[in-house]
Amino acid sequence: MSRTFSVLSANAREAAESLRRARLRTVLGLVGVMIGISSVIAMVSLGEIAREQARKQFEALGTDIVVVRKAVGSGAKAIDLPNALQVAAAVPSITEAAPRISGRGTFRFAGRKVGGGAVQGVTRSFASVNRLTLQEGRFISDLDADRYWCVVGAGVAEAMRGAGADRLAGSLLEVDEVLFTVVGVLDDKEESYALPVQVNANKSVFVPITTAQRIVPAPGVEVVIARSRAGVHYGTAVADIRSFFRKRAPGLGLDIVTAKELIARMEVQMGIFTLLLGAVGSISLIVGGIGIMNIMLVSVAERRAEIAIRRALGARQRDIRSQFLIESVILTIIGGMLGIALGLAATWTICRFTDWDFLISGLSVASGLGTAAAVGLFFGFQPAHQASRLDPIAGLQGK
Amino acid sequence: MLKLTGIRRSYRIGPVTTEILRGVDLEVHAGDLMSIMGPSGSGKTTLMNIVGLLDRPTSGACILDGRDVSGLRDDELSALRNRHIGFVFQSFHLLPQLTALENVCLPLVYRGAGRPEMRRHAQAILERVGMAERTGHRPDQLSGGQKQRVAIARALVGEPALLLADEPTGALDADTAGEVMALLRQLNAERGITILIITHDPSVAGQCARQTRIRDGRLFEPKAAAADGA
Ligand SMILES: Nc1ncnc2c1ncn2[C@@H]1O[C@H](COP(=O)(O)OP(=O)(O)OP(=O)(O)O)[C@@H](O)[C@H]1O
Ligand SMILES: [Mg+2]
Repeated sequence: MSRTFSVLSANAREAAESLRRARLRTVLGLVGVMIGISSVIAMVSLGEIAREQARKQFEALGTDIVVVRKAVGSGAKAIDLPNALQVAAAVPSITEAAPRISGRGTFRFAGRKVGGGAVQGVTRSFASVNRLTLQEGRFISDLDADRYWCVVGAGVAEAMRGAGADRLAGSLLEVDEVLFTVVGVLDDKEESYALPVQVNANKSVFVPITTAQRIVPAPGVEVVIARSRAGVHYGTAVADIRSFFRKRAPGLGLDIVTAKELIARMEVQMGIFTLLLGAVGSISLIVGGIGIMNIMLVSVAERRAEIAIRRALGARQRDIRSQFLIESVILTIIGGMLGIALGLAATWTICRFTDWDFLISGLSVASGLGTAAAVGLFFGFQPAHQASRLDPIAGLQGK
Repeated sequence: MLKLTGIRRSYRIGPVTTEILRGVDLEVHAGDLMSIMGPSGSGKTTLMNIVGLLDRPTSGACILDGRDVSGLRDDELSALRNRHIGFVFQSFHLLPQLTALENVCLPLVYRGAGRPEMRRHAQAILERVGMAERTGHRPDQLSGGQKQRVAIARALVGEPALLLADEPTGALDADTAGEVMALLRQLNAERGITILIITHDPSVAGQCARQTRIRDGRLFEPKAAAADGA
C-alpha cells in the first residue's frame, strides 16, 4: 500500500513535470482532446436543452391533455355533439372536455379585411382546457348557444384596432358575410407545436359551438380536447373514454392521443437524438484520443533510456506503466476541463441565437470528465504497456 | 554471497548464434573488491547485466544469498535489484530532468519510502560522496566527476550489499578517476560493501583486492594478483 502510494505520487509529480517540459506537444494533445470533449459536451447539452424545451412546451399547457378525434377511415359518422358535451360529466377520469367544430373564414371590420383564419366553434370549457385568458370582455358561455357572438384572438384584435376600432367589446365583426358581436378579446397566446392539437388562438375567432354548426361546411365535432384527473394514468383515461363512446356510439372509431404518451415517446426520441449527437461528438473525441496515443508513443520512444534506468533501479513493469498512464490521464483530464468550458460556451452561443434557454447539464459535465479520463486510460494504455515491456538492457545500450 | 556456475549467454542474430559467455564460474564473497578486465566486446557488460539481474543467462545458475534467481518473476527480480544491487554505469545514466537529490531518491521511490525520509537519506549519502553543495543541480550543471559521484550516491542510497560498476572511470580524466576509485575503496573498507568493477584500465584494476580477466567467454583469476594497500 505505502509502496504503491509512494510510487504513484512520485509518478504523478514527474508526469506533471514531464508534460510541462514537452510544452508544444502537450498543448497539441490538449487541443485535440479539448475539441473532442467540447463537441461531445456541446452535442449532449444541445440534446438535453432541446428535450427540456419540448418538455416546457408541454408543461405550459399541462401534461394531462387528452385529445380525442374520429379515427381516420372510421365509418361515416363524426363524433356526436351531445355525446361530446357529456364526456366530462360521464367519464370520471376526465375533469374537463372541450369539443370543437372548425371552419375557416375571412374577417372584416367596418368593411375592411382584418385577417382570415380559423373559425372555431367552442364551449365555455375550451378556454380553461387550453389555458386561454382574456384581455377584455368574457369568453363564450354556455348560455350563448346559437347566438352570433364571438371572442377574437389577440392578432385579430390587433388588426381590428388597426382598422379603427377603439372599443372592441360590442363592435361588429363580419365573418364570411355573417355579422358577429365581439364579446371578448383573448390575451396573446404562444402556440405550442409539441402538443397533439393546434389552437392557433391569436389568428382565430371563437364562436358558440351551435352557431358554428350552422355556418361552417363541416359541422361535425372535429376534436374533443380533455384533461384527465390528476393522478390518473393516461391509459385509464383513454380506456374510459373509449368505453363511454362504445356505449353511446357503437361503430365509431376513435383516435386518442395523450400528452403523457407523446412526452414518453418524445423522451425516447430525444434520447436517441442525444445519443446520436453524442456519437457525432465522440468521433472527434476518438481523433483526439488517437492524438494522445501518438504523443505518448513518441514520449515513450524518447525516454527509452530513462525507462531502462528506472527498471535497473528497481521499478517494476507496472510502475513504469502507471507513470505513463498517469501522464496521459492528466493530459486528457486537463483537456477535458478545457473542453467542457469550450463546449458550454459553444452551447451558450447557440442558445442565444436560437432563443432556447441555456442550461448546464450536470450529466454532460460529469460524463465529459469521465470520458476524458477514460480516453486517457484507453489511448494511453498501449503506449504505457509498451513502455513497461521495454527491454532494460536495450534501453541502457541506447538501442 | 553470489555464486555463478557455468553461466552461458548467447545472442541470436538471424540464423547465427554467437556465444558470448561460455561457462563463467565466479564466487563473490561479502566485502570483496573485485575487478573484471577484458578486451572490448568480450562480454563484460553482458556478465554484469546477468549479475545485476537485468538479463537471464542462456544456461547456468546464479545464486544470490543462497537463492537461485533463475526461476524468479520479473517483479521479484525488480524488487531484488532494488534492495540488493546498486548500479554505476559507464555513462552515468542520470535522469537529465531530475536534480542530483531527486536522482539519488529514485531507488527509494521504488522501495516505497516516504518523501521526507527519502530526502534525508539522499542528502546524507550525497554528503558522503562530497556532493552536499550540489544537491539541487541537474546533471547538465555538473562535471563528469560530479555526475559519477551522484551516480555512486544513487547506487548506494538503498544500502545494497553489492555494487556493480561498469567502467566507472571510463569517461573521466586520470585525476577524477583517481578520486572516484578512492571513494569506492573507502566505501568498501568502511561499510563493507561488496564491489565489482569492470574496467579497461589496469591501474584501476590494480587497486582491487581481487582481479579477474574475461577471455574467450570465460573468467580467469590470476592467483598472484595482490593489491597495494589504500
Ligand atoms: N542485445 C544484443 N544482441 C546481440 N549481440 C549483443 C547484444 N548485446 C551485446 N551483444 C554482443 O555481445 C558482445 C559482448 O558485448 P558486451 O557489451 O558485453 O561487451 P563488453 O565486454 O562490455 O565491451 P566494452 O568493453 O566495449 O563495453 C559484443 O560482441 C556484442 O556485439
Ligand atoms: Mg561494456
